[in-house]
Amino acid sequence: MSLSMPRRAALLFLVIAATVSAQSIVAHRLNRSEYANTVRDLFGVDFRATDEFPPDDSSQGFDNIGETLTVSPALMEKYVSAAERIASRAVGGDPLPKPVLLNGSGRARRLGPSAIELKEYLDYDADYIVHANLIGHRGDQDKPVTLVISVDGKSVKTATVPVQISAVNRKGGGTQRATVEARVFLAASQHSFRAEFVDDADLQNIPRDQWFNNNVNIHPDNIEITGPYPSVEPRSVARELLLCDAASGPACVDRILSTLARRAYRRPAGKSEVAELLRVFDQAKTSGYTPAQSLQFAITAVLVSPNFLFRIERDPEPGAVARVSDIELASRLSYFLWSSMPDDELLALSESGKLHLPAVLDAQVARMLADPKSAAFAENFTGQWLETRTLDAIRPDPKKFPEWSPELKEAMRTETRMFFESVMRENGPISDFLDGSYTFLNELLAKHYGIAGVTGAEFRRVELTPNEPNGAQRSGVLTQAAVLTVSSYPSRTSVVLRGKFILENILGAPPPPPPPDVPRLNEEAVGVSQSQRQQMEAHRSDPVCASCHSKMDALGFAFENYDAIGRWRSQDGDIPIDSSGGLPDGRTFHGAAGLKDLLKQNMPEFARCLASKLLTYSLGRALNPNKDEDDRAAVRAVAAEAAQNGYKFQAMITAIVHSPSFQQRKGEPK
Amino acid sequence: MIVTNAIFRKALNRRTVLRGLGAAIAVPFLDAMTPVFAQSATPGPVRLAWFYVPNGIDMRNWTPAEEGTLEKLPSILAPLEPLKKDVLALSNLTSNWGRPLLVGAGDHGRAAAAYMTGMEVHHTAGADLKLGVSADQIAAAAVGHLTKLPSLEVGLEETRIAGNCDNGYSCSYEYNLAWKTESQPLPPISDPRNLFERLFGSDAAEPAAARARRLAMRQSILDQAIDDTRRLESDLGAADRRKLDEYLTSVREIERQVERSEKDSEQIDPGMEKPFGVPAEFPDYFRLMTDMMLAAFRADITRISTMMIGREGSTRAYPEIGVSDGHHPLTHHGGNLEMLEKVRQINSLHLQLFAEFLAKLKATKEGDSNLLDHSLIVYGGGLSDGNSHQHDQLPVLLAGRGSGFVSPGRHIIYQRETPVANLFATMLERIGVRPEHVGDSTGRLPGLSLS
Repeated sequence: MSLSMPRRAALLFLVIAATVSAQSIVAHRLNRSEYANTVRDLFGVDFRATDEFPPDDSSQGFDNIGETLTVSPALMEKYVSAAERIASRAVGGDPLPKPVLLNGSGRARRLGPSAIELKEYLDYDADYIVHANLIGHRGDQDKPVTLVISVDGKSVKTATVPVQISAVNRKGGGTQRATVEARVFLAASQHSFRAEFVDDADLQNIPRDQWFNNNVNIHPDNIEITGPYPSVEPRSVARELLLCDAASGPACVDRILSTLARRAYRRPAGKSEVAELLRVFDQAKTSGYTPAQSLQFAITAVLVSPNFLFRIERDPEPGAVARVSDIELASRLSYFLWSSMPDDELLALSESGKLHLPAVLDAQVARMLADPKSAAFAENFTGQWLETRTLDAIRPDPKKFPEWSPELKEAMRTETRMFFESVMRENGPISDFLDGSYTFLNELLAKHYGIAGVTGAEFRRVELTPNEPNGAQRSGVLTQAAVLTVSSYPSRTSVVLRGKFILENILGAPPPPPPPDVPRLNEEAVGVSQSQRQQMEAHRSDPVCASCHSKMDALGFAFENYDAIGRWRSQDGDIPIDSSGGLPDGRTFHGAAGLKDLLKQNMPEFARCLASKLLTYSLGRALNPNKDEDDRAAVRAVAAEAAQNGYKFQAMITAIVHSPSFQQRKGEPK
Repeated sequence: MIVTNAIFRKALNRRTVLRGLGAAIAVPFLDAMTPVFAQSATPGPVRLAWFYVPNGIDMRNWTPAEEGTLEKLPSILAPLEPLKKDVLALSNLTSNWGRPLLVGAGDHGRAAAAYMTGMEVHHTAGADLKLGVSADQIAAAAVGHLTKLPSLEVGLEETRIAGNCDNGYSCSYEYNLAWKTESQPLPPISDPRNLFERLFGSDAAEPAAARARRLAMRQSILDQAIDDTRRLESDLGAADRRKLDEYLTSVREIERQVERSEKDSEQIDPGMEKPFGVPAEFPDYFRLMTDMMLAAFRADITRISTMMIGREGSTRAYPEIGVSDGHHPLTHHGGNLEMLEKVRQINSLHLQLFAEFLAKLKATKEGDSNLLDHSLIVYGGGLSDGNSHQHDQLPVLLAGRGSGFVSPGRHIIYQRETPVANLFATMLERIGVRPEHVGDSTGRLPGLSLS
């Protein structure tokens, strides 16, 4: 019986007197990121949950808060169809349909005179043929062009294409057409296909208004996708799971399903639970499905079960506080640091009851942070703590910021994530978030920053020496373009939003919202007749506004040297920038560097803010440090622990993992 | 609580009745759940929809000058000129719980939630969501079993912003219109392909026998999920059980859909290609999503729908019409005329797109009339003046006739402080739901019909 194990474990717990209250954590539905990562770790299937499932609601700035995550019928419907597709992809037991032309003509988006892009959703893990159709020709002396076909940014075919019209076409007066094909294996998902000429020197000799004249220029005209075709890649991706041939009989099926249920439910699976999955298998087989397909149905049953979709912990007696079981601790850890299920090592340690031992726990945290899977932590946590997810919702004014592009946006997000990941993996001090003198750039972002010597699309670590002015401008996350952009308006910077960002995310002292009907900035005047500073000073002459704006604005002015998409500037329109400011306590600073220095002098405050965000994220519940004494104590304890260890990032993680909040659970009334 | 609905009970009996769990599922106003279409003399079902527009409206260019027959329309309503005989402009309605009564600031955090429910929006960052059942979900609980989908939630916020929502209110209040229970919102679908698949299914065409076999498997898999939940439930605390109740209710809803499709193998022709991705331009996005709402109404896939044109506090810029500043910051114009003009342009764009939707409904024949005549569609929001966060004198339109239920083409001015929930209660009455009240409603809205 499946419940016996946790129940027995519960009896073994030392029930700690309810003086230290670990608030109860409600059953967590996996959010989109956790679902996708868990499916990846279970089956090796790349499932893009963000394309399939509706967005998760968030509370206190995070989308993994158990209370807030619900299952609507629309989501449940998605869970069912996703489970069926994932199972089919994992086992590969369903025949592929006949290949067809998947997209109509004219759906490709033109990116330039010699580049087009098509986004297409593919339903199967299979081979597909990408047809890049070219039209037109050039003069007799023009050189051949190099056509590159790429899928999701990766080149899959490079071909040299002659640009002259063929004799047949010339004679017949026909239009010159050509097609270049590439056959690629692609996973069921949305993909973006590009066909573009590279190193196309002759284009500059063709007048702009003749670019699409088929008698003057050759250009990519359309992309067509046909498929699915059988692939040399094995249909079943879940090789680890398919331990034996399901057709060989019930013993094998039992073995496969027991193994799967333990991993998918993240705990030992009861005999009766496996028996039920076997019943699903048998029913499918009886109704005429192949063993492979029948296995798919049993896997589908696993994936729609609440045991998979929810992380559920057993309650101690109502009102009592007790340590969670090692099994539950394994999931708390893995969803904190990996946004995914525990691996076999964690599961084995928890089943043998060793995981909670301090030395074991520390070793596991170190191992988990070093594992590539902790990239999910970096991505999800920075995306929300530093709000870089908001980049997707931002549309900078195209007139003022024509440089804005999807590529630049992604580069910004990547920089901040990689920077966080570096502090995390290398156990840097958390003060690096304020002014670490290195970052991660590719050519596009380096140009955006005016930093020389970075070429190519690949990101690499770049040292920001203080002697190099453009470098010193970028130390720490606050002056990274992603943060500067998400705290700006579409058309201009906002000292208020930037100040608020610091108060909320660095100092942990969010300002109250403004009273309604406050006088606003005259947008058009900013940078023309009045500086933003003059306007804000007028605003603050109202004492109602001054109480908060004196704090926010003074912080925000530090970043006035960065425009609304994070570029360095010394003028706002016609007005020279004055980036001096002051803190409410009277200390003054000059520019971002000056503010960073002051923030660094106040490490305990920043440490408490970061600890509070990390605790919220790690527990998946809303903290209430203003009202709840235990939450306040937990935040302080984690920050203090970090302080004793030189504010090393991993010290903070370790402190959280050892904290009563993370290790205990309070019994709810039944 | 006893589930009285006949169809619901049938489903429950066939499956295992879940003691404890089933009892905790909050289904509101059960006494009023008897469908009335059977007795009703009116042909064709009535569809209800709520279009929510955020951040208030430039009311100077919204409110018609005169009461009575709609004559000259103010500039924001101008796109309704060809449809002026099909809409009612309702002035002076109030969403009282949007106001800073208990908490103070956080007007945007409360506005949509209070508007749709007429209830207090419990101030929480997420630990204990509590609101109430929204008007559309009261309707869905009553008549939802008659259609494939009890209700349809659509929205045009394809991306979410990170960080906190307004003044410590959970983002759940801001991003959702439909609340199935007091703590469970139904998130709107904002991805076109997902909306298409929700309406028309994602299954490839297949022979009837193969389909029946597959659906039978789906059914037993769902049965097993219910069994699993039951076993889990025995050990859980109240909060965990509530979470699993939400799950279970949704599983049952999918079971009901599977049962329906087992009986009815007829595929609906969507009349459109499956869309992929969010259109780059907002107007195209609006049209695409409302075209699918129309298809859902036409094919009777659902009769109840909500549409979140934008969430409260939306900072969407509208470069398509030359407005490159964010919507919300613009509405705090402080009387600045240039900013107000941009607000008016955004308001007008929304109205123009809404008018296009109405025109399409009207062009869709149904019986001897059209789909618009068979609908009651509210367009409005929980703020009037977005600059000063006013929750009274709201901008509210009611489009359609509800099959002879209302006499459109007029501007009605109510007494100040009339709850907007009175309008919703009146709409519910049209589909045979007679709740005691909808949130803070105090009665029915008089004068909607001239007959």
